[in-house]
Amino acid sequence: MKTRTNADKLVDRYLIQLDRAILDLPAARRAQVVDEVAGHIAESRSTLDDEDEASIQALLDRVGNPNAIAEEAGASRASIRAADAWVPWLLLFGGFALLIGWFVGIAFLWSSNVWKVPDKLLGTFVLPGGLLALVPLSAWLLAAPPVESIPAFLFAMLMPIITAVHLDRVRQAR
Amino acid sequence: MVPGDDSVWLAQLRRGSVEHCVLALLRHGERYGFDLARTLADSGGLIANEGTIYPLLARLRRKGLVETTWRESAEGPPRRYYRLTEAGDLALTGFIDHWKVFRAAVDGILEEAAAP
Repeated sequence: MKTRTNADKLVDRYLIQLDRAILDLPAARRAQVVDEVAGHIAESRSTLDDEDEASIQALLDRVGNPNAIAEEAGASRASIRAADAWVPWLLLFGGFALLIGWFVGIAFLWSSNVWKVPDKLLGTFVLPGGLLALVPLSAWLLAAPPVESIPAFLFAMLMPIITAVHLDRVRQAR
Repeated sequence: MVPGDDSVWLAQLRRGSVEHCVLALLRHGERYGFDLARTLADSGGLIANEGTIYPLLARLRRKGLVETTWRESAEGPPRRYYRLTEAGDLALTGFIDHWKVFRAAVDGILEEAAAP
């Protein structure tokens, strides 16, 4: 097994950035762009006399900023609206604003091009109403023995929080 | 926007002409991506980023202006070679005609402006 050098890691990181920049291309086209750029980098490396981090960085600079390649590939640079930053938190807490906040969050979520459909489904169904879903749940939980009710309650509370954090991370990665 | 020192108009000029420069490079025979990227980058900056050649080539292929074949390479993994199609050749001819007129028009106006 060959160990990964720092140069390898620079290249890996570059390819991950590129892959992320073209996230909204169809999977086959995305894979092809990444494959071909990876091949280009490999061939460029074979022409280097001396391979160190500086020469690899210079080589990657020549290959270009991943966003420039993404733009050429027609990946719509996720037009990030100011509203998108609010979405995870509207979904989580918006229910408490007479439920309206949650519906506003859903509208922003589905109209945004920052998230793809699986994430949109996740945001919608985990949990409908966000933390507000705990209110009817706690009424039911009071009737159940604590051994069951406490873990169930924690689970119900954690799921929407994790979902919100996940949606926020996806947004920040764009 | 392409980062770096490119101004907007330069990027637009490139965008408008580089596809046909690729077609022109293929008129005398098939070439592979790395070779095309290096040629364009070394030609005085027809592309600012070598990597942008790949989505561009993919687009030309989807338009049916080029076609590809895989060929073994002595130095490494197989390479995807690009070849001009008949439609590509036609598109290039059309571009060359328009380009000559366009260039003459721009030159005429610029020279007039530069004259004392």
